[in-house]
Amino acid sequence: MTFEPPILSVKSLSVALPPGADRPYAIHDISLDLRPAEILCIVGESGSGKSILSSTLMGALPRGLAIQSGGLKLHDQALGDIDLTAQSERAWRDIRGRRIAMIPQEPMAALNPSAKVGRQIEEVFAIHGRLAPQRRQRGARRAEAIRLIQEMHLPDPERIAASYPHQLSGGQCQRICIAMALALNPDVLIADEPTTALDVTSQAQVLKLICELRDVHRQAVLFITHDLGVVADIADRIAVMEKGRLVEIGSAQDILKRPAQAYTQALIAAVPSFEPKPRPPAPNVKPGHCLEVEGLSKTYGRTRALKPANLTVERATTLAVVGESGSGKSTLARLLVRLIEPSAGSALVNGHDLARLRGAALQHARRRIQMIFQDPFGSLNPRRSVGATIARAAELAGCTRQEAQNRAKTLLQRVGLSAAAYGRRPAAFSGGQRQRVGIARALAMRPDVLIADESVSALDVSVQAQVLNLLRELQLELGLTIVFITHDLRVAAQISDRVAVMRSGEIVELADTASVILHPQHPYTRALIGAAPGRGAI
Amino acid sequence: MKHLRRPTVLIGAGLVGVWVLVALFAPFLAPFDPLKSLTPLASPGAPAPGGGTFWLGTDLLGRDILSRLIYGARPVVALSTLATLTAYTVGVSAGLLAGYYGRWIDTGLSFLANVILSFPVLVLYIVVIVALGPSPINVVIAVTFASAPAVFRIVRTIAADLKQRDFIAAAVIQGESAWRILFIEILPNATGPLTVDFCLRLGYTTIIIGALGFLGLGLPPPAPDWGGMVNEGRALAFAFPHLVIFPCLAISSLVLGLSLLADGLNEARDAQARGS
Amino acid sequence: MRLALPPALTGLGKRLGTMALTMLTVSLLVFLVLEVNVDDVATKVLGQFSTPDQRHTWLLQNGYFDPLPVRYARWLWGFVTGNWGLSTYYHADVRDLILPRLAATGVLMGATLAVTIPLALGLGVLAGMRQGSNVDRGVSVLAIVTTSIPEFASAVFLSAVFVFWLGWLPGVSTLSSGVTIKELVLPVAVLTLSSAGYIARMTRASMVEVMASPYVRTARLKGASTSRIVFAHALRNALGAPVTVIMLQIPWLLSGVIVVEVFFAYPGFGTLLYQASVNSDIYLIEACAMIGVVAVVVSQLISDVVNTWLNPRLVRTIRKATLQDPTASAGGREG
Repeated sequence: MTFEPPILSVKSLSVALPPGADRPYAIHDISLDLRPAEILCIVGESGSGKSILSSTLMGALPRGLAIQSGGLKLHDQALGDIDLTAQSERAWRDIRGRRIAMIPQEPMAALNPSAKVGRQIEEVFAIHGRLAPQRRQRGARRAEAIRLIQEMHLPDPERIAASYPHQLSGGQCQRICIAMALALNPDVLIADEPTTALDVTSQAQVLKLICELRDVHRQAVLFITHDLGVVADIADRIAVMEKGRLVEIGSAQDILKRPAQAYTQALIAAVPSFEPKPRPPAPNVKPGHCLEVEGLSKTYGRTRALKPANLTVERATTLAVVGESGSGKSTLARLLVRLIEPSAGSALVNGHDLARLRGAALQHARRRIQMIFQDPFGSLNPRRSVGATIARAAELAGCTRQEAQNRAKTLLQRVGLSAAAYGRRPAAFSGGQRQRVGIARALAMRPDVLIADESVSALDVSVQAQVLNLLRELQLELGLTIVFITHDLRVAAQISDRVAVMRSGEIVELADTASVILHPQHPYTRALIGAAPGRGAI
Repeated sequence: MKHLRRPTVLIGAGLVGVWVLVALFAPFLAPFDPLKSLTPLASPGAPAPGGGTFWLGTDLLGRDILSRLIYGARPVVALSTLATLTAYTVGVSAGLLAGYYGRWIDTGLSFLANVILSFPVLVLYIVVIVALGPSPINVVIAVTFASAPAVFRIVRTIAADLKQRDFIAAAVIQGESAWRILFIEILPNATGPLTVDFCLRLGYTTIIIGALGFLGLGLPPPAPDWGGMVNEGRALAFAFPHLVIFPCLAISSLVLGLSLLADGLNEARDAQARGS
Repeated sequence: MRLALPPALTGLGKRLGTMALTMLTVSLLVFLVLEVNVDDVATKVLGQFSTPDQRHTWLLQNGYFDPLPVRYARWLWGFVTGNWGLSTYYHADVRDLILPRLAATGVLMGATLAVTIPLALGLGVLAGMRQGSNVDRGVSVLAIVTTSIPEFASAVFLSAVFVFWLGWLPGVSTLSSGVTIKELVLPVAVLTLSSAGYIARMTRASMVEVMASPYVRTARLKGASTSRIVFAHALRNALGAPVTVIMLQIPWLLSGVIVVEVFFAYPGFGTLLYQASVNSDIYLIEACAMIGVVAVVVSQLISDVVNTWLNPRLVRTIRKATLQDPTASAGGREG
């Protein structure tokens, strides 16, 4: 924390939404200051207006939106305060990239797919007329781009500079984007959810890099995120936004340890804790293995997506399967529900080997194991009412049409929606509500096992907590066995009895939750836990 | 539904509607018998012997052009619609199968579609007609043959994309039959783009049928055929422009109506998706 | 991390193989459709008034009673070696008939493409850059109207204005004194009108999508001006789909060329095929059909190569465009 004058000051800023939107303002009456060499994290859930705020600060609001009132000033050593609300587009072009730069959310999509990344970094110099390529200095831009890539701790910078974005990983692309942002040493860096699309290990590296930017280059960083773990790790100060308003702002310590506002308190409480809690077993459950997997594997041509896997899950317990992208956890999930054909092995659900059955026997056995999906928008047929979707599942399980409709209505209520929701189409519901519909649909077949494939990853943290609680209630009530696929160790810590850690197609560690989280054995597990943000603070 | 009340849709639907009605009620609307020779090469507006007016003039053989236009709407509307419907039946079925099952079925059907698409339409038609002889049914067969691969491609792409969505996976996991997945889960989600394409394809088919008439490969004379009318009147068009202008306007207006309708429906769909 | 090898080489090999297979299948189809019924063939060659005896003798002499695969192989070999048979109507070697006509049509197609491509791409890019503006709407309306008018109708309308009313241009283009610009204007204009609109709309859709993409936003946030965004970022990524569309328009253009040539009496490939169809000139039709397909297949190959060069990742913008806007889909007129 410094006591220098703020480099960016926002006073009572409001941006109006066009008429017909669900609220009159995108952001309303926002006031905050950003100082050099500090990281200010803006935390909010979806619809909080944090992205609009970042667009406003870059003078890049979408068409139809404009600053309605309030002040936005950029402090310049020589010129004093520049009023950013009154700048022409031409003036903004000079400011963008040179004084204020942005680090985007989806790094690979944010890079031009048909230009080499080195050239894209060089372009920043070209746009702002720096390092003009005169005859002697022809290589100056290129050399500087390579130096920047090196500063990002990327090995073999020449080769990286000559690569196209699709030839690099997400984490590498993000570091290129950071290099681009850093090129002209701007005063302010706006990072809009820069690590949301990255694996947890890439995320840790990028976060470390951003902290370096603050420490070494003394940049003022405005870091927008929904992930409180990340905030706990890197923030100097925190601002909490909800529905376009600033709820609370203060030092990281104050906000995290002594939140004043109810919304902030609820938000922090909803974050799953790393401390595994004791989980009482479900009552009235016959002990034994519900799911037994032996030697299950999948090979595509030469790639081994899943090496022979062995695991068992006790009835009415939850197994979390944790891994980064490419670990094989999704393949495992899809094999378990026989969405793809296994190359070898067996998967027994209460004695029935789903991996080997065919025809009518397979059809009949399918009802024992069902899945809830990640994307609330793609998991329901948009042309059908949610009631019909759930009822169809019940019909396939053997109900008559009338029975199926009744069961659908009952399930809708059980998951927290009203029976009147039966006739509505998915578009009428929010993301969290659609996930509840997905749960109702899965339960319509009265399965023994439920596979949740990243089912809360696309949800806001408060909605996520509700859905996880719902699943726990259902588990206790129905004796459900749950296999929960996730990349989020916190979720795994909170909701599971046992954890399987996967990497490159194999299970590297499988033990009860407390052991895995608190005393990890495998080096990869240790690395994964080490990289998880905010571990001590929240 | 309110999205459909936009000018492009209304004008398009209007134009198409007019011609459909004309085709349906031709006998009631045409002032004269389209095959009857009366006064050759009368100018538009000239009186007819025995009462009535040749509103659009008469052709070389003395037949009233307005009546021939009205009756000529019938084969155009009927054959275009029939050809497009059969093309759709074939194309949708094949496309759904190829898009959903993929692999060999997809490779085989796509290859076949590409082979047929390698023929320029008129060349394909000429080959078929020379082999089978000109007749309305052969026109439908040839045009279906030429259009089905294009429909196949569109449906296949849509099906292959929709297949990736989770709600299809959910249906599979529930043990839903493939038939129901194709026609109840996938197809209804494709109706948006397909409706738009249907209108466009009706337009293209109409153009092709007109071109065939123009080349003298369509319906045999003396049946009234818009393209044929242009062909017949071409030699005298310098002196008697009404011989060719009106059939051209007729076919252009019908296709324009279809194009506007397609465009309007597409915009309406976008507007609805945006929720505006 | 390994750099990916350019897919051009393996892709090219695959493409050539598919081409050959396609041509083979096409030849089989053409052969089966036209020559499977030997009596029909004899009637067409010898005329309607020939007697059954005459036909029988002719069929025997020309090997038509051999088994079908043998006949097909012989016929195919004839094509490959350049022996395309005798035209029954013109009483001349089919090859000698086709080649000069092909050249004339080549000139016509070339001139059309030279006019259409810059015009359509230019209008499409402009409309896409200024989405929602009057320019955009104007281009869209113009495109819809022009593509709705059949070639023979626009030929009639243009002739009415430029030949009959203004008298600036000749009514027919028989090329009696070689190729002249005056005689090319109307045919090229008609063909341009029928194809430019569609290409322009497809280009516009592609441009709109690219201008809304995250990497264009990144460029904007780096401080790039609109012209830099368009020329350095948008164009290269937006032109992939239109290039494909242009190549896919070639089959459509070949159809239109037939109508236009007949209308203006232009001595090209189209009028030849037309005459052949009117006179049931079987061997000529077969040869024309094969050549038409060769033209299309070659243009598809060129489009693939250009696409690969334009975009190293072969982004499937075509696929996405098909889903979002079928009026601008690559599956448009012909698929």
